[in-house]
Amino acid sequence: MSNHLDFTRGRVALIGIAVCLVLAAIPIGVAQAAPVNLATAQPFVVLSGAGVTNTGPSVLNGDLGVSPGTSLTGFGLPAVVNGATHANDAVAAQAQSDLTTAYNVAAGQPVPPGNDLTGTNLGNRSLTAGAYGFSTSAQLTGQLTLDAQGDPNAQFVFVIGTTLTTATASSVVLINGASPCNVYWKVGSSATLGTSTAFEGNLMALETISLGSSVTVLGRVLARNGEVTLINDVLSTPQCATGSTPTPTEPGSGGTGGSGGTTVTPAGSGTKSPGTTGKGTKKPPTAKTPTGSATVTRGPKSAAGVPVTVRGKRIRKVTVTDNGKRVGAPGSARNVLVPATPGFHTVVVRVNFTDSTKAKTFTFRFRVPVPVLQPRPGPSQFTG
Amino acid sequence: MTVRSPGAVALAVAGALFATPAVAAAAPAPTAAPTSQALVVMLGDHTARRAPDAEAGRIEAVAARRPLTRTRTVLPVLDRAGRHDEWLHVRLPGRPNGHSGWISANRTRAASTPWRIRVALGSRRVLVFDQGRLVRRFPAIVGKPSTPTPRGSFFVEESLRLRSSESGAPFALATSARSNVFQEFEGGPGQIALHGTGNLSGALGTAVSHGCVRLGTRAIAWLASRIGPGVPVTIGEAGAGAA
Repeated sequence: MSNHLDFTRGRVALIGIAVCLVLAAIPIGVAQAAPVNLATAQPFVVLSGAGVTNTGPSVLNGDLGVSPGTSLTGFGLPAVVNGATHANDAVAAQAQSDLTTAYNVAAGQPVPPGNDLTGTNLGNRSLTAGAYGFSTSAQLTGQLTLDAQGDPNAQFVFVIGTTLTTATASSVVLINGASPCNVYWKVGSSATLGTSTAFEGNLMALETISLGSSVTVLGRVLARNGEVTLINDVLSTPQCATGSTPTPTEPGSGGTGGSGGTTVTPAGSGTKSPGTTGKGTKKPPTAKTPTGSATVTRGPKSAAGVPVTVRGKRIRKVTVTDNGKRVGAPGSARNVLVPATPGFHTVVVRVNFTDSTKAKTFTFRFRVPVPVLQPRPGPSQFTG
Repeated sequence: MTVRSPGAVALAVAGALFATPAVAAAAPAPTAAPTSQALVVMLGDHTARRAPDAEAGRIEAVAARRPLTRTRTVLPVLDRAGRHDEWLHVRLPGRPNGHSGWISANRTRAASTPWRIRVALGSRRVLVFDQGRLVRRFPAIVGKPSTPTPRGSFFVEESLRLRSSESGAPFALATSARSNVFQEFEGGPGQIALHGTGNLSGALGTAVSHGCVRLGTRAIAWLASRIGPGVPVTIGEAGAGAA
């Protein structure tokens, strides 16, 4: 009897160990996406299969290309292309080929059932790394936060069956080390970014991509077969490392914001979640477990500026900078008004804690339109 | 347009050519532009002095308003002095090119601009920076060798809308720079401006002007709708981001 009991206990123990090993082998983040590689399409900030039409003073910080189409319209002054232009040449053709490969890899991402977002709006959501699916169309109204949870290689892939549409002043905000290099939007038909949308990531559409007025894109706009349309937009390629595995070079960089009030939470800069080991197994909290937390709230943009409020636990020091220049009182700025001077603003909020919680960094961007001046009449008395 | 004082022109050309290397050497290196420039708006007439002291030597009188449009004078602030920053070191308009002096902070208002313009004479382009970022690059016509565009650090004195029949229409950004060749031109003080090509000949990207910087109509219209008084203008051989 006792032998039988010992044998039974031993078998239970073995089964328990086996189960633990199996569980340990399964990543906690089952939604983790496989790498997507743009290869030679990476230098392109805009790439189209049919043609690119621009209206107004758009700025493209990256290469512009079209293949197999040839049409590039509206890229003389006042538009600026800070990059090479490839009109149906071998470079553009190869980039289109690599785009197709990347598109198919993204389209083939396994989407866990829990990540099927069909019928929901991406606005006012916070998502962690992984693949997310829409069997039909996707809509973004408001702010979408992508949280890398401290993993600079965290990849976000959105597999959208038909269209992607963003409402006016919508935004994609990246936090906790998320990089626009590692965000991919696979759009099964066409994408439309509404006026003043602040978009981040690599937008890969099978058909057309249309950007409304004053859209900012930190990433790429890549259309396989259709046209790309721009109106007074600013598009910039992020600095990405080359290679099969995307490796961002902007750790801790944040997102791009619209004009509405938003909250960015939680945050962590290059750290794992408290109480989580490297293998994803839970560790019981101890007396030394960091308990600091911080939430940064960005108020609506007004003529005076953009209010930034920091709340949380065990906060020792808050530093807010706007384009690298400190804003507010040094060290203790919990409520700061970032002046709305014309132009682009990159606001970085750095929070240090009184306990062992690692410092957190929040980043957001906003843009203030330049006022239009009307010079007075006067005589021409110059040297000519 | 007609050239005045031909005798003085030859002397001035020789002087300008002699002075060119030193001025060019003093031109800022093509590094990243600063993100903003402190300005001061003058609310009354001032006296520019050699030092931040009411007893210091007088340089010149600075009028509260500009002569062409009667808009308020706006000057770039280079430094401050005094316990409460009651003295401002400012760049001054006119001759000698790039000169500066100290004015009292009384009857002034502080301002700033994110804009900065660089004229790259080598590539014959005008580069526009917003908060240190290059946002526009326009081809331009610059001064020919006999009447070169002066090099150095200047600023926009005033922006003007010109009649369509006037030379340089439709807009002009009158700068603090003065020609090193002409003491007088078309009734003006040989003032260097960025202006349009209306009623003037010459192809963009060439060096055929009398010293002014000519821009295409869309380019000068874009600038005139954004660039106000006080915006720094640096003229040199190269510019950051120049091709």
